[in-house]
Amino acid sequence: MRKALPSILSVISAILICFIAAGLTRDFGTAVDAFMAMWWGAFGDWPKFLETGASTTLLRPLGEAATKAAILTFTGLSVTVAFRVGLFNIGAQGQLVVGALAAAVVGAKVELPALLHLPLCLLAAAAAGALYALGPAILKLKRGVHEVISTIMLNWVAVSLVDNWLVTGPLRATTSGDNSASGTDQIHASAELPRLLGDLSRLNFGIVLALIAAVLTWVFLTRFTRGFEWKAIGLSQDAARASGIDVERGFIEAMLLSGAFAGLGGAVLILGTELKYPASLGAPWGFDGIAMSLIGQGHPLGVLAISTLFGGLRAGGTRMQLFGVHKSFPELIQGLALLLVAARMLWDKLIDRLSPRKPA
Amino acid sequence: MIELRHITKRFGGVPALEDVSLEVRPGERLALIGENGAGKSSLMNVLYGLYQPDAGEVCFDGQAVKVKTPAEALARGVGMVHQHFTLVPTLTVTENVVLGREPTSWGRLDRARAEKEVAATCTRFGFQLDVSAVVQELSVGSQQKVEIVKALHRGVKTLILDEPTAVLTPQEADELFAVTRHLSDEGLAVVLISHKLREVLSFSTRIAVMRRGKKVAETTPAETSPEQLAGLMVGTEVPSPRERGEGQGEGPPLATLEKLTAKGLHEISLSIREGEILGIAGVDGNGQRELAEVLTGLREWSGGTFTYSGNTLRSWNPRTAREQGVAHIPEDRLRRAIISDLSVEENVSLGRQTRAPFAKGPLIDFDKRRACTTALLEANDVRPRDPKIRAGGLSGGNQQKLVVGRELDAAPKLLVVVQPTRGLDIAAVAAVREQLRDQRTRGCAVLLVSLDLDEVMELSDRIVVLCGGRVSGEFGRAEFDERLIGRCMLGVGSAPHPDPLPASQGEGDLSA
Amino acid sequence: MILEILSSALDAAPALVFAALGATLSERGGVVNVGVEGMMRAGAFAAAVASLAMPTPLGVLVGMGAGASVAAIHGLLCIRWRSDQVVSGMALNLVMLALGTFLLEAVFSSPSSTPSITQLPLVFGRSPLTWLALVLPFIVHFALYRTAWGLRLRAVGEKPQAVAAMGVRVAPLRFGAVLMSGALAGLGGAVLSTSTLDRFEHHMPSGLGFMAVAAMVFGRWTPLGAAGAAAFFAFGNALRVGLSSSAPELLEVVPKGVLLALPYALTLLVLSLQGAKNVAPAALGHPYDPELR
Repeated sequence: MRKALPSILSVISAILICFIAAGLTRDFGTAVDAFMAMWWGAFGDWPKFLETGASTTLLRPLGEAATKAAILTFTGLSVTVAFRVGLFNIGAQGQLVVGALAAAVVGAKVELPALLHLPLCLLAAAAAGALYALGPAILKLKRGVHEVISTIMLNWVAVSLVDNWLVTGPLRATTSGDNSASGTDQIHASAELPRLLGDLSRLNFGIVLALIAAVLTWVFLTRFTRGFEWKAIGLSQDAARASGIDVERGFIEAMLLSGAFAGLGGAVLILGTELKYPASLGAPWGFDGIAMSLIGQGHPLGVLAISTLFGGLRAGGTRMQLFGVHKSFPELIQGLALLLVAARMLWDKLIDRLSPRKPA
Repeated sequence: MIELRHITKRFGGVPALEDVSLEVRPGERLALIGENGAGKSSLMNVLYGLYQPDAGEVCFDGQAVKVKTPAEALARGVGMVHQHFTLVPTLTVTENVVLGREPTSWGRLDRARAEKEVAATCTRFGFQLDVSAVVQELSVGSQQKVEIVKALHRGVKTLILDEPTAVLTPQEADELFAVTRHLSDEGLAVVLISHKLREVLSFSTRIAVMRRGKKVAETTPAETSPEQLAGLMVGTEVPSPRERGEGQGEGPPLATLEKLTAKGLHEISLSIREGEILGIAGVDGNGQRELAEVLTGLREWSGGTFTYSGNTLRSWNPRTAREQGVAHIPEDRLRRAIISDLSVEENVSLGRQTRAPFAKGPLIDFDKRRACTTALLEANDVRPRDPKIRAGGLSGGNQQKLVVGRELDAAPKLLVVVQPTRGLDIAAVAAVREQLRDQRTRGCAVLLVSLDLDEVMELSDRIVVLCGGRVSGEFGRAEFDERLIGRCMLGVGSAPHPDPLPASQGEGDLSA
Repeated sequence: MILEILSSALDAAPALVFAALGATLSERGGVVNVGVEGMMRAGAFAAAVASLAMPTPLGVLVGMGAGASVAAIHGLLCIRWRSDQVVSGMALNLVMLALGTFLLEAVFSSPSSTPSITQLPLVFGRSPLTWLALVLPFIVHFALYRTAWGLRLRAVGEKPQAVAAMGVRVAPLRFGAVLMSGALAGLGGAVLSTSTLDRFEHHMPSGLGFMAVAAMVFGRWTPLGAAGAAAFFAFGNALRVGLSSSAPELLEVVPKGVLLALPYALTLLVLSLQGAKNVAPAALGHPYDPELR
């Protein structure tokens, strides 16, 4: 609990700071309305539900929130598992892009029954992301290239190649039936993530996948000897190596898993909501994963929790526009929260000062 | 004259110094001795402005002065050379020396003037140094000279040397003492922090003994003896060293290297027998570390053969090494043996984390790990006896006990030990040495690497000297001789008898 | 045609050159700066907004100040509170990305750009910042290798303990380098909104900050190397833009996306050929804690 405290305080402070900022640029009445709108938009419009009894007032927002939460959870887990072995995978963005493209291509170009098609799409996305993450791991091991630098470079390589070439060129949608022919071909229905509540909400299977991934990651990292070995590698490569742990293998495994998670995040985006690789992915989901992982303190369930919160806020953020507050506001909150979490020493000192002294 | 008056310093409530008073007089060579943790370095760090005393004052020529930073200490003529050098490896000698007080003209660094001035300082105090050499290319001994020149160049009147001989050969140490004697003749006060009684007795003009944060005695070399000093340092009668107890020494070779070449090692040939302690002597950085790494699987070799337990090895890594009974007590425990952010029990499982009793299948066996750790803490007297706390929270001595206990718990066939007693107090040193002897008696082959030649000579059944990554001499128990070994460490001598193994270096120089 | 491309490279290079020099200064002092992108964004936005109210040259100074302010937060986090330097930089990028969009909306009620401003007046037919970008690398080189301050900064990036032991305080030295880094990144951003264009656009600096970091690495953490790499990347960009107008048929063969990816791929290639470990400052990324030794 005490370990989570800096994160909780950071998030609360970030929300407060942004509330004041909104209040100053508009006025505080509007700010309150806007924040409430964001909140109801995130986690269901309970007042309206109680008033009207229409379940869509609850379910529609939840669907949006859950989708965004699922993507954030996957990229957050991606950064988290790489962090476990001490690697800073800034490349989740690039891995997500190639994963999303792989899902879109397999979803559109392959025809299979749903029972096989969807898993194949997910597998393709995971494999693409994993392979794209393998590069930095190998460069680090063989050439000593720092993974922060190589993953930054690979992000831009992926974005440039996919968004500015493949999607606008060779893989551009062939059907010119509807007007919006940007992006790749529409995926087949058999590749779509099934909706959990039919037409009531866009709530789809993605959040279930994210939940499973987070829990499995947690179990793996805390209960398996291999998870323990990863932790040892992350804390001290030298000591891990001297203890007979294969550090190189740990790096490769963790980066593969990290890339696979990022790729799955891309798949959830494509197979759940976009249904094709769009002209633009809309948000730097991969970079957001860094924030999720760090605010979640590198704990898979913490990542899940914080992704749910920010997934919700982002879904609700669109409603703030009605009050003249830009929808990027949740991202501002998220960035500030990350910045505050980064200043850990501050919180630690504050908590030390405020907490009752333990008997020595 | 400098006076430290009634200095008290606590760290988190724990007193490191209690009411210590000491004078430092111009032209004297004052030795400050005591065990590790006795407070000698802390006291000098107060004088050097690194620590602020909680009580007491520092007086320069009778005036109380608050020394808040090393810069202020330097300005008052106090310089300090630490055990860990504070040199920038990529800069030249001159750049390192003038750093912080660079000669400039119109904002531009005046390189020529700087080199001239530094060279002048070297000449004046009798140091031979290439002032335009890049520091990382110098030997350890030369780097230490650069550290001293740095202080002298600031015109210090008092020079504090913190364990300066820890990394030097006997010959280099002699040279260092000759130069520093010259300094005190010039009127400088030299303070030597040490725990080596012999060098203290031969070098100093006055000796102050510290124990547990207090000054317990002040004396002169003429008035005292090594036994008395040792007694003062420990506070009780020093237990006389236990009978060495000969190892069998005649066991079959367990590990044999033949013309083994690796990065940092050239055609090493030696063998380690069961039931013996093989000591490796040498100046720091002459291949000892690399040798230990090859044996424990941390370093690959490019030529020659490595035979272990009768098999010529093809692949060897820490995992296979551990599986075949190799244990490793490394030099830098916080780098290689302990992970401070893991709990004590997690650290105990390191090395055997995938095997019983620490694992069942792919899962961690939490219950057995706890039981195993509790037993190990008890058996090795590690305090506190809490398996759940962070290993980084243990004191250095307890961490070392944990490492030694863990490595011996696996009942190794080959034990590779590097600097096992560095930083431990006398009681802990004795305990560790006894455990090493016990392992030998049990039939374990022990390879001991230490930079402390006394330690190597005390414990070993046989000594191999390394110099420049080559074997430069081998000595049987009967032939141990400090001077001869010292010459081999410098690569100018050889074993008193032809080396039984090939590839010994520099044969024939017996005349000196 | 070649002349045209060189000419447009001259106009495209300054932003990258300034930002790359900034990154170099910070990292030579031992503080990782992946927040260049955010600092550039702050500079671009502030310069454009300030130039609405004051002469553009003053606006550029405000942009530098904005970059330095973001750097000050980075400095506080990394030096004073010893946070992870990569995390701090990435966090600042995220904050500035969102803050820029938010302020654009809140102040100008526009999702895409600020109103137009008067661009910087030309000197000898070019933006004065272009000329500055030609000489500044040499000035930074001189400062780093020929002055006492430069010696100290390089030393602090290699081994801060050594500098502290000689009575020079580590934190102010590093803080100064980080602030200068931010000011230069801010200047780079200001180039975009006052010289290249006449307004701040919502996507600025669209990855140029990361490219500046690439240029620094490519140039092996030296001012001249970083500036050279920045100029080279800018030339590549100009070539791409030039080709798309003068020889669009060539873009059929070599797609735009491939050209866009080229600087990053090249940096990666060079890195994997030379290895980065030996050239980066030794203390890079390690906060200095005077109580540890």
